[in-house]
Amino acid sequence: MQNKSVHLSDKELILAADGELSAHRRAGVNKHLETCWSCRERMRSLETTITDFVRARNAELNRLVPPAAGPRALLRARLSQAAAVPPHSSFWQFPLPAARAVQLTAGAVFVGIVLVILTVFESTMSAEGPKPRLGITPGEARLITLEEVCSYQRAEVVSRDIPNDMRQKVFAAYGIKPAQADQFEVDYLITPDLGGTESIRNLWPQPYSARWNAHVKDKLEQRLHELVCGHQLDLKTAQRDIAVDWIGAYKKYVGENTAH
Amino acid sequence: MGNDASESLTRFRLAESDSALPRHSPIEDEVVSLFEQFHAPVIRYMLSFRLPIADVEELAQDVFLSLFDHLRRGKSRANLQGWIFRVAHNSALKRRLQARRHSDRFVYEPVLSMAATDPAPGPEECLALGQRQQRLLAVVRALPEQDQFCLALRAEGLRYREISEVLDVSLGSVAASLEKSLSRLMRAERA
Repeated sequence: MQNKSVHLSDKELILAADGELSAHRRAGVNKHLETCWSCRERMRSLETTITDFVRARNAELNRLVPPAAGPRALLRARLSQAAAVPPHSSFWQFPLPAARAVQLTAGAVFVGIVLVILTVFESTMSAEGPKPRLGITPGEARLITLEEVCSYQRAEVVSRDIPNDMRQKVFAAYGIKPAQADQFEVDYLITPDLGGTESIRNLWPQPYSARWNAHVKDKLEQRLHELVCGHQLDLKTAQRDIAVDWIGAYKKYVGENTAH
Repeated sequence: MGNDASESLTRFRLAESDSALPRHSPIEDEVVSLFEQFHAPVIRYMLSFRLPIADVEELAQDVFLSLFDHLRRGKSRANLQGWIFRVAHNSALKRRLQARRHSDRFVYEPVLSMAATDPAPGPEECLALGQRQQRLLAVVRALPEQDQFCLALRAEGLRYREISEVLDVSLGSVAASLEKSLSRLMRAERA
């Protein structure tokens, strides 16, 4: 440990290196470093350590960071969807009554409402089951022509059984235990008739028992097939909408209340 | 051309259909601009929670969607970098808690690859460099988690005040944490 009365402390060196000292103290540190070789060597050693750590960290982590282009395009699409929905207004933006008793009553009522909403939300979420997760299943499509899409009369004609090893990979990616696997169908996010591939990026486990289940999605797939082949919907738009939010796409193209 | 089947497959790119989308609002453009700036730093920071990369990518998307909501409601624009990292931190903590309930989930454990080190030095220097880097990373992994977060946030360019807000600790705690961590790293380098 350095003699603090003569030399700068480690903390002072670190704060100086990070630009976290006051201007006055910083000037004092700089003046000391001009004259003290020992502290200057320690400062250089500190900077070297920081450099080595940052290099090691970046070498380890940067190879895991995906290129930004794909995620950026996905974010653009999700932002467009979010922009179409008006923002929720906040309860707290409204002025509360001045009287304390009224505030407490209002607070109690608010907490009660929140509890009810949370209970309903919880039961609704469990009824809806898991949704495709963008990080695992963003949707993947091959090049396909409109003629090829429309050479089939119905959407499900080109669906195939998914190999067992691929099914296991999908279950593992979503953290579904083998004992629970029979409660799910491994389904295509973008259907094969619209160009969807048999890749883990396009497959996800869809619960049989949830409200938004495989049979409901079949209706959407058929509807999209009809719209695309009827030249009422662009193929890329159909691919994008079913990939980004298939339930939203169902409500948009089939109808809000027809999923029951 | 005779392209084989794999070449005919193309990843579904939403970018291709961007031109067909309506014009974007200034807030959307601002969020995308911030995404470009902070995408890699946020991913790197959330990887320090030992989450799978797929989870981290998904969480990063959610962070920027939350940012869009935040800006659209006209909330504070002061220190958006700190805001982004605070939301990322809380989201990653929450996801890790959920992941721990499924103990059979794959959990990312970073391993330093020799191929990932700077290719410029010769084989022996590369080996020594790789060993030194491994030693530093081993020291970091042995630190208390809060110190690791502190160091990671500093490495991503956050000031002490911003780190204290993300981690909800005092400014003095941040300074003490970084001093402790860097002292250990310096000792490891000298060893």
